Amino acid sequence: MMEQAIATYREEAGELLSELETSLLDLEETPEDTDLINRVFRAMHTIKGSGAMFGFDEIAAFTHEVETVFDMVRNGKMTVTKRLLDLTLKSRDHISALLDFSAGAGEVDRSIGDELIISLRQLLPQPESPPKGSSDIPAIQLPPVSVSELADEITWRIRFRPTRELLLCGTNPISLINELRALGTCHVVAQFDDIPLIDNLVGEQCYIYWDIILTTTRGEDAIRDVFIFIEDDCEIKIEMIDSSGLIDRDQGYKKLGDILVERGDLSPVEMQKILMLQKRFGELLVEQGIVTPEKVQSALVEQQHVKGVRQERSAAPQQEAAASIRVPAEKLDQLINLVGEMVTVQAHLSQVSLAGGDSTYIAIAEEVERLTNELRDTALNIRMLPIGSTFSKFKRLVRDLSQELGKEIEMETFGAETELDKTVIEKLNDPLVHIIRNSIDHGIEMPDVRTASGKSSVGTVFLGAEHSGDSVLITIRDDGAGLDRDTIRNKAIERGLLPANSEVSDKEIYAQIFAPGFSTAAKVTNVSGRGVGMDVVKRGIDGLRGSIGVDSVRGTGTTITLKIPLTLAIIDSLLVKIGKEHFVLPLAAVEECVELTREDIRNSHGRNLANVRGAIIPYIPLRKHFKIEDSRPDIEQIVIADIHGTKVGFVVDHVVGEHQTVIKSLGKMYRDVKGISGATILGDGTVALILDMAILLQSAENLEAAAV
Amino acid sequence: MPLNSSCREDGDIIISSGDRLTIENAADFARIVHEAFGSSKNVAIEFESTVEIDITGIQIICSACKSAALKGSSFSYLGMRPQALADLIITSGAERHALCKHNNNATCIWFGGNNNG
Repeated sequence: MMEQAIATYREEAGELLSELETSLLDLEETPEDTDLINRVFRAMHTIKGSGAMFGFDEIAAFTHEVETVFDMVRNGKMTVTKRLLDLTLKSRDHISALLDFSAGAGEVDRSIGDELIISLRQLLPQPESPPKGSSDIPAIQLPPVSVSELADEITWRIRFRPTRELLLCGTNPISLINELRALGTCHVVAQFDDIPLIDNLVGEQCYIYWDIILTTTRGEDAIRDVFIFIEDDCEIKIEMIDSSGLIDRDQGYKKLGDILVERGDLSPVEMQKILMLQKRFGELLVEQGIVTPEKVQSALVEQQHVKGVRQERSAAPQQEAAASIRVPAEKLDQLINLVGEMVTVQAHLSQVSLAGGDSTYIAIAEEVERLTNELRDTALNIRMLPIGSTFSKFKRLVRDLSQELGKEIEMETFGAETELDKTVIEKLNDPLVHIIRNSIDHGIEMPDVRTASGKSSVGTVFLGAEHSGDSVLITIRDDGAGLDRDTIRNKAIERGLLPANSEVSDKEIYAQIFAPGFSTAAKVTNVSGRGVGMDVVKRGIDGLRGSIGVDSVRGTGTTITLKIPLTLAIIDSLLVKIGKEHFVLPLAAVEECVELTREDIRNSHGRNLANVRGAIIPYIPLRKHFKIEDSRPDIEQIVIADIHGTKVGFVVDHVVGEHQTVIKSLGKMYRDVKGISGATILGDGTVALILDMAILLQSAENLEAAAV
Repeated sequence: MPLNSSCREDGDIIISSGDRLTIENAADFARIVHEAFGSSKNVAIEFESTVEIDITGIQIICSACKSAALKGSSFSYLGMRPQALADLIITSGAERHALCKHNNNATCIWFGGNNNG
């Protein structure tokens, strides 16, 4: 049970850290946004509080330091500065490292934490007249954060009765009361019944005592700490009267009489006597002279305070908590797998029922098909997450890298709410990192260069996402120098990637930046220039069965567009047949199907080119590629696809039709077979291979180049 | 002007707050109030608008109010209640909307919150 709670803490802390990063980056743009300041404080507070509860003492103690600073910001005693945000972002990274380390991953450099604490403490406002020798930064002593101190919200009844001499010692009780106010929601009632008549009053003595109702997440120790320097000069009585654990009880609170009896200000007998009179209880008590109006007022304050706290506590968050549940990702994967199996069985059922011709079974099969489709869509939808969580990481990347390189860069995002399969989002991370690093390093110019060319000194990297059919388009655009077409072309020719003296479109030239080891950078920096990044992008996007488009205008900027399928689990595809074998082609890239007659083949003189409405389209005979020996039909089909901007045909015997393909990965033995990205089980139980059209094209090109 | 008191033609005593009603002059303030009730049934305070006041000032006002109620005298203020007093009433939790038994169960004119300001 405890292990599960700890795992949940790790997960939630990870989410909070991610939210924290987003809030901090937003705060950089609007440093006075109190909502953001409160969000940062709450994230820190929760990480600390829950951390202490589940034994993450180091995380709790470190987070306490950052929380302290943001508490000052929250209370208007400090302002948000760039330095504070830098330190907080670094602190967030340190907490993340501590969290990973606690899970047995990575290493933690504790000196980083110590340095951050010193720097954070230096930001705190110093007292106006520091005592002698206190100007030095104190040695680091992480305050122990105990579970009791970080318990849930609790309401306390405090009676603070100073000794008569308290004021003579120079203590101002109002300052102490204000310290209590800073701990949470607080109501204070001063009690005057000990104040004597003027004949007996000594002006400098303290006669007032206070009833304080305080709701706070800090524990009793924190309250006692307020009175620590005057504990011998006062009487302090602290009683817990309500806690968030009592939420199941009714939202009201004790009756006035119960409070007074509990406090010892009224006896149960007196209470019963008064109740018999059936007037407003407080009025009756005052009328009878049993309790002073001040006492009644104090008790009413307590009643109202706790009622308010309970009502607030039971409001929206409770409903929100009930509206969603946390499910491990593996369970969702399992659900998708089962839905996949279901789709396959349903296809088999439809096939068998149609073959049998019994209308009753056909109707049932159709009903099962409808339900299966709904189940599939719902299950896939569960795994959909907004891509925005990834965006915030890149905001941070842009911030840190631009600082490192001395550039001024802003990041704009669009479509953060666009949803994509969880796995796809995870796999998009690396390609996006490489593209954005390239934009920052090679795309956006230094501020002086930008100004000299009439641009704003601040460059912009735009990251946007939008739905487009069954895909998501992710656009990464910068307003930097743009790609140098001629340099890329020359470099590509030099490396034999492009034929010299040939007419090549800009698109084809720009596509060369994704070739392995391709780089035009004059120097290699920490950020990029080694020629490995964009290759990773291409492989990553190919792995997602996506495509990449590049567009660039010299001096104006570059736009890279990634087209990514919504999900990796089930795809729309085109089922084709060669001989007795079925194959699957992802439908997203397919443009059209045309016939290929024996005469067409003869006319192409072995060059594998088809004339499609005047356009010459190269094609790959898959029968030859897979060495299928059966007799070939008189009329074959060319499935024409757009592969990274190039139109290519794939010749098959027959096009069976569109197909919902549940993707199954190939076993270890076949994992590295080129041109096959997976397999699927057809309705009749046979297996069809899913073709990787981009790799097939590349293999064909390599074979041709080798033949030349 | 320092803390002092004066007697009007009608016999009412007016205590002028001066610039402070704090622990430094609390003994004087208590004495002046005590003496005032010894010689008049109507005592009032006239506050400087910028008067500084602390918890001892509040206690003396409350004590004077109780004493006046007991003797059937009146203890009030002239003009506006100063902002420093209004603020201190709130921060010290002295604000009262209830009746005061020491004031013959009448509403407290001193600590009834901002409404009396």
